[in-house]
Amino acid sequence: MDAEAAALIGKGLATVSMFGSGIGEGYLIGKALEAMGRNPDMSGTIFTRMIIGVALAESTAIYALVAFFLI
Amino acid sequence: MNITRDITNIEPHVFFSFLGLDIADSTIFIFGILIFMIITGFLIRKYFSVLPSKLQVAIEVAFEASHDLIGNIINDEEKTKKAFPVIGAIMLYILIANVVGLLPGVEQLSFGGHGILRTPTSDFNTTFGLALGAVVIINLIAIKEKGIISYLGQFFPFHLIWKGFKKGIGAGCIAVIEFFIGLLDIIGEVVKVVSLSLRLFGNMYAGQILMVIMFGFIAFVVPALWLAMSLFVGVLQAIVFAALVASYYMLATTTTEVSEETQH
Repeated sequence: MDAEAAALIGKGLATVSMFGSGIGEGYLIGKALEAMGRNPDMSGTIFTRMIIGVALAESTAIYALVAFFLI
Repeated sequence: MNITRDITNIEPHVFFSFLGLDIADSTIFIFGILIFMIITGFLIRKYFSVLPSKLQVAIEVAFEASHDLIGNIINDEEKTKKAFPVIGAIMLYILIANVVGLLPGVEQLSFGGHGILRTPTSDFNTTFGLALGAVVIINLIAIKEKGIISYLGQFFPFHLIWKGFKKGIGAGCIAVIEFFIGLLDIIGEVVKVVSLSLRLFGNMYAGQILMVIMFGFIAFVVPALWLAMSLFVGVLQAIVFAALVASYYMLATTTTEVSEETQH
């Protein structure tokens, strides 16, 4: 197997790790919606915190994307 | 369209060297935004009055919103007053830098086959510098507030082993584990720098690459949607960077009291 073929397989494998971030974000948004249902007054605050939380949970997927472009 | 030619490299393309410093494609924007922020600061000092005009009200609304955001994270009035100038400046710089690359026509100006303008935060040097600077400042503030012995005592907690073995052998062994956890905090600082810089760099750089690829698929309506998404992501990443730096600052200046309470 030459180096180029191995590099392409590596690129494909690097993108597998992104599905974990999808599960994590879905869980986070679900919990945020539940909290908004229980306490509708705080909806604005909860939504803002949720957006920040989603950006943080996205960061491991972004590391995988950077690794994809580096290989 | 030739994908391999249009995609920007991870490395910035250096045009020439000037007194030993490389002038690359992102240099103009990096310093341009800095000069713009300084000039705007002077103009604000000079022209803002007690009876505000509409522009002043808009800027004050944005200032209050970001002050409340950082203040909610730090949870302490005086510390927010000390830290907000630095954290707010970082947030404003990243906000302008993320958005300026999306103005139409900006990325097309070229000189000798290579574009001369590039989003500054899509260059890993910028984001690494910002992250390293923020983490170093936080550690320097922690040293100044706690004193250097107490600061080093966080990473090499010999005092925990001493107190643990005074209580008994069982508590002493647990204290040895806490000693190694304290050593891992050193790696934690390095990880903070790497994660902050990579998150911002990855979001901006991958956004550019995906825009080029999307022009390859459908060149008509869809890139406009991706442009709106890039705008949103740019603003969001600035807020997330500032919020994380604020929370690291809060952790660095409060940890001593919490751990002392749990010791007794």
